[in-house]
Amino acid sequence: MTGTRRFLVVVPPLVGHVNPLVGVAAELARRGHDVAWAGHPGLVHRLAGDDQRVFDCAVPEGPGRTPDLTGPAAFRFLWAEFLLPLAEAMAPGVAAAIEAFAPDVVVCDQHAVAGALVAQRYGVVHVTSASTSAEIVDPLAAFPKIGRWLTDRLAALRAAIGDPAATSDPRFSPHGVLAFTATALVGDVPAGVRVLGPAIAPRRTAPDFPWEALDQRRATVLVSLGTANADAATRFLTEAAGALALLTDRVQGVVVDPGHVLDRTPLPEGTVVREYVPQLDLLSQVDAVVSHGGHNTVCEALWHGVPLVLAPIRDDQPIVAEQVVAAGAGVRVRFGRVDAVRLAAAVDTVLDPATGHHACAAAIGRVLRAGDGVLTAADHLTSVPLAPGVPDTPENNRIPCCDTESLP
Amino acid sequence: MNTRTDPDTVLADLAGMLGKVVAEYGLVDAEITRETTFHDDLELESIDLVVLSGSLRDHYGERVNFAEFVAGLELDEIIALTVGRLVDHVVASLDAGAPA
Repeated sequence: MTGTRRFLVVVPPLVGHVNPLVGVAAELARRGHDVAWAGHPGLVHRLAGDDQRVFDCAVPEGPGRTPDLTGPAAFRFLWAEFLLPLAEAMAPGVAAAIEAFAPDVVVCDQHAVAGALVAQRYGVVHVTSASTSAEIVDPLAAFPKIGRWLTDRLAALRAAIGDPAATSDPRFSPHGVLAFTATALVGDVPAGVRVLGPAIAPRRTAPDFPWEALDQRRATVLVSLGTANADAATRFLTEAAGALALLTDRVQGVVVDPGHVLDRTPLPEGTVVREYVPQLDLLSQVDAVVSHGGHNTVCEALWHGVPLVLAPIRDDQPIVAEQVVAAGAGVRVRFGRVDAVRLAAAVDTVLDPATGHHACAAAIGRVLRAGDGVLTAADHLTSVPLAPGVPDTPENNRIPCCDTESLP
Repeated sequence: MNTRTDPDTVLADLAGMLGKVVAEYGLVDAEITRETTFHDDLELESIDLVVLSGSLRDHYGERVNFAEFVAGLELDEIIALTVGRLVDHVVASLDAGAPA
């Protein structure tokens, strides 16, 4: 095809959902296309650069979930209290952006469903960007009424802000789904889904780290629950400290503790505790990661060939954790139940070469590092047919599982 | 045999199966009653339901269709699912299959 296109990128106010599209937007611009964003300007500017054109969308306050809200209750809360109201709030901003910018293609995050619905109302082709592996595989197919609970609400939303005649699921565009995850996690995918590998986003700033403190004679294990889970972390990190004490002759822990919950917990000598770490640099040095199973951290660890001990808390994390276990690259423990002894045993398991976790993670890492999802995504977006009338196939009752790593 | 299924026996059976599942991840000696909730009390996840489904099949054979039971639950019912509700399903399934 020839000629330049105009792309409008619609994103929710969630860091993990914006990050994969930062590189894609830059690549499109590098190829001479016009790119603008619709979303939260402060967040987009921070992640994608101050030079980005952003159409302001109203975003509601974060839902303020309590840490003990998990499982299906967390799912109900996420959609009913956050993602569906978010779509209603964003819809006028998305519509204004489409009218002002006149995009040829709308690129919309899977959970910013206003992008898909409003694009359809304006007859503009849209392509979905999926930032987690969990929703690609229909993990809760056994619970059809959960699926219907959501699709009923999405249908009502479509009636309010979309094209009432359209039928496709706003989370799965019939013009293509760009899935920023690993084939090793999702396996076979439905037609129309392109698995591009995770978007490993270089950080704009790297926190200081005492590299000289790493003990070369012991295995290094990174313990991190991400930045969004400080409130729920106390019990788990305290057990992790106990596990590190049990492992101290063979393991040195690097513990991320942004909430300072370990300030008064005794730790084995040499343990490095930091509020923040330069995670990507650190992952090239560690032998295992203990994590809650946030999709970003999991993919970054696998990218570096590092096996995982996963203690999923909620949302997409249990599904991502099961995918890692199925891929042979890690083991799973219970976030709310695991104790120091069980956690130490899990760390020993993934560190033991005989279990194969290290080899599996290494093999996955080689595949991930060889791919280039950004270029593939840009190729798809610049070649997707713009003609209206592309078949609008109804999707089945898929179960959404949002990556809420950075839920406000 | 055309005696009705005893709900207390089913409860004891299920408590044994569930106790095995939760013991795997560190919840030992969990007291399991009709009022025990799958989610809040036992912290069961969908992966555990797969295991439980296998245990039910091993114990009751094809007479109890757990997948169908789960598929029939609304979101709010799944959130609030209790052991007692599954006991009732098992009892009804066994009685439906028994000769009159």
